[in-house]
Amino acid sequence: MADSVGKVVIPGDVLSEFRASEKTSKVALGPGLRQEGEEVLVTKSGILRHKEPNLYWIDCHQRRYIPAKGEDVIGVVTVKSGDVFRVDIGATQPATLSYLAFEGATKRNRPNVKVGDLVFAKLLVANKDMEPELVCIDSGGHSAGYGVIPADGGFMFHSSLNLVRKMLSPNCDILKFLGKNVPFETAVGVNGRVWVKAKTVKDTIVVANAIASSEHMTNAQIRTMIRQLLDKLSGF
Amino acid sequence: MCHKIRHPRYWLILPFKMAGLEIISDQGYRIDGRRSSELRKVCARMGVFTQADGSAYIEQGNTKALATVYGPHEVRKGRGKIQHDRAVVNCQFSMATFSTGERKSRPKGDRRSQEMSMHLRQTFEAVIVTELFPRSQIDIYVQILQADGGNYCACVNAATLAVIDAGIPMKDYVCACTAGFIQDSPLLDISYVEESAGAPFLTVAMMPKSEQIVLLEMNSRLHADNMEKVLDLATQGCKDVFAVLDRHVRDHVSESHALMTAS
Amino acid sequence: MKEVPISTCEREFILKAIRDRKRIDGRQTYDYRRLKVSFGMERGCCIVELGDTKVLAQVSGKIEEPKKNRPTEGSIIINLELSPMASPAFEPGRPTESGIEMNRILERNIRDSRAVDTESLCIVAGEKVWSIRADVHVLNDEGNIMDAASIAAITALAHFRRPDVTVMGEEVTIHSPEDRDPVPLSVHHMPVCVTFAFFDQGEFLLVDPNRLEERVMDGRMVVGMNMHREICTLMMSGGMLLVKEQVLRCSQIATVKVAEIIELIQKALDKDAQARQAGEKCGFAESVPANKITTNKKEPTLIDTTAAAQQASQVIQEAGPVDKPMSNMIVQAPGTAQIGEGLVNTWQIDDVDMESEEEEEGRKKSVTNGKEAEATSKPTERKRPVKAVSHADDSGSEEEEKVMLYQGDAEMKSTEDSTALQQPPNSDKPAKKKGKKKKAAQK
Repeated sequence: MADSVGKVVIPGDVLSEFRASEKTSKVALGPGLRQEGEEVLVTKSGILRHKEPNLYWIDCHQRRYIPAKGEDVIGVVTVKSGDVFRVDIGATQPATLSYLAFEGATKRNRPNVKVGDLVFAKLLVANKDMEPELVCIDSGGHSAGYGVIPADGGFMFHSSLNLVRKMLSPNCDILKFLGKNVPFETAVGVNGRVWVKAKTVKDTIVVANAIASSEHMTNAQIRTMIRQLLDKLSGF
Repeated sequence: MCHKIRHPRYWLILPFKMAGLEIISDQGYRIDGRRSSELRKVCARMGVFTQADGSAYIEQGNTKALATVYGPHEVRKGRGKIQHDRAVVNCQFSMATFSTGERKSRPKGDRRSQEMSMHLRQTFEAVIVTELFPRSQIDIYVQILQADGGNYCACVNAATLAVIDAGIPMKDYVCACTAGFIQDSPLLDISYVEESAGAPFLTVAMMPKSEQIVLLEMNSRLHADNMEKVLDLATQGCKDVFAVLDRHVRDHVSESHALMTAS
Repeated sequence: MKEVPISTCEREFILKAIRDRKRIDGRQTYDYRRLKVSFGMERGCCIVELGDTKVLAQVSGKIEEPKKNRPTEGSIIINLELSPMASPAFEPGRPTESGIEMNRILERNIRDSRAVDTESLCIVAGEKVWSIRADVHVLNDEGNIMDAASIAAITALAHFRRPDVTVMGEEVTIHSPEDRDPVPLSVHHMPVCVTFAFFDQGEFLLVDPNRLEERVMDGRMVVGMNMHREICTLMMSGGMLLVKEQVLRCSQIATVKVAEIIELIQKALDKDAQARQAGEKCGFAESVPANKITTNKKEPTLIDTTAAAQQASQVIQEAGPVDKPMSNMIVQAPGTAQIGEGLVNTWQIDDVDMESEEEEEGRKKSVTNGKEAEATSKPTERKRPVKAVSHADDSGSEEEEKVMLYQGDAEMKSTEDSTALQQPPNSDKPAKKKGKKKKAAQK
């Protein structure tokens, strides 16, 4: 099979040719690829991606989140049990979040987290055999932007994982261009949850809908859409 | 409010289809001798059982219902139902096999009974101050002993008395009443015969003091313009029921109080 | 499967939006989502889409013995199926309480209101009658399956044709469709449900709640009504309290909505009938566009801009003739621009946001083609302070910013506006969410 990087592959396809790299002779297989004996098989349908020097994975349009270590997610606190919170991050299992994993939290000084709160956190442990574990601090013990998202006026909506990845990619304009015209705060969890907060309820709704509808648009289309949106804002 | 009561199973001897049968006579009387805005006779008794925390029996004309209340107690079976901020209300409605003209094969668990149980639950969840008993459960069991129209109403009224008897705090009484619209005039407290004539009727459960509606249900076709008339009549009916129930509760309380102080 | 828990944040926001008379999908309080009715190849099969909610109804008929007590009447059975396919909230197995409630509402709405004539379903009295069964399957639950199901059920019943039957003495013949044209059921009237969601103990009400709104609402009321303004069912429950006036108001609103919906159903039925008559293609395959990603499609929503348009035309009329069609934007210094000859800005210049806003404004003006925008830019601003007061609510943020340019001479400017503008939005807040992306204002 010829070089199919950037092309659509479907489960059962066999990858034979890998780009040669000077640095290493090994190949790293990411999500959607699997080694069966001598062959490399595709297990998800999507676009084959390659990153220098030797990483291959499949970009798949997926709605269910599979946790991966180090990713930033938005979760909903569902249960407070003992010294951990259980947080729903949309994965197969609820994640745990220790009450000590907040900035400035000690055994005496517990963070103020209630059931139903949103938390923006990083995945510390994520593998198929263990419960995912979240933290709201970086290695230095600082919040670094993580923590409980205040419930005053912001809105969280669910989207496909693809849209979230698209928003976070550096060559996507949606956040940049939208932010220039309507000031807003946002937190993007790669588990398909996006929290936005603008000055007014109306702006928040507009921003959320603009983001949600931008999934299958090019940058140019996004710009047109946002311009139209702003024109209509006065009549909204 | 007392009326001539015929044989309890009078509908058995009536032709099944009410062909040509007049629901309201020319003189304005209904089949059982009532005027259009009159309730049937209401007889009630509280505290009829010893095991239950609260119990009551009610007769509304020929419709007879029995209600018992247990709780608030710890949540049994299905601990998943526990609510951390309030009590869960569990209602079970059943109809005795001998309650209808034709013997019932399934006293509970059919769709109608399940729906009725759910409506009772919703009604009492709205009225009982459940926030006072977090992580607990209140059971309300209601049984229809004889069905002659307005089953839901009799259940609600009986259950209200039982809840009061059990000493569970409520925001207000909840009273229920039906009102129909037959031969271009609204009728209060529909009996089985009137029900099966196919005319529209409205079931209302409300808190009589604030006139807030807790549950509203309507069957068959009613023109939107007549809605207000029927709803007004039903409201009046609920207030009348309230007056009767309130009397009973006051009598019951003062009686038991007198007994307590006497000893 | 467990449903995704709803967070306080979502709940609070939805409630806040509703108190502001806004909805997250941009609809007005009494707006329905886009309603689409399409028919299958077979008679009596129909899919109703209400926004993203999808419900399929299939009607079938068989001949059976009538009930003892109604020997001359056929039967109508309505079965609502909430399969776990439609939503993670639905469990397989026994129907849930809410499922039973909805099924009962459907039955009451259609069967108990005698929408379909059951006596015409009789073939031989006491021996053979038609039993008509409508299976309503929920395919995707994005809220308000009640309305979608009721529309689907009645439309499918109206669309259904049963085989013709003739009785010759003792002999009953069922004719095949080739032999004799199948006959429609006699549908007397078309009752349709309208669902109202109540919030804040009945203070706010919405029509056609979507999934999120359904999860936040206190309770709901379902009004089943037909074209003749006859209420066929009414169901209100769910732990909230209402007064009589609200009930009557709902029935008023339902009247209007039902008329709209039934007109749409009638149109869809007529169109399908025509297509079948002309021998054109029909069925679901025709109604789904090919080569499109359908799961994430967003239907265009009409936003009512008449108010804004009126305002704009009024502004243009008042403005009189325009002497200079071009807006002359003066760039005073890099990063600072001015449109028109307004007075000097009396606000502190440290408002970086404001200037960029102005610049943005100027740029936008040049982008929007057509003379209208350009024409309004200059002369209207003179009148704006008066307008800004009367339209303080519905004017967009753009206009507010425009007024700001004339802050110096506009005494009528409301104080809350100026305080809101005094603090540069967001820019001095601690960078909270910078972990991933932080867009504070314009940089």
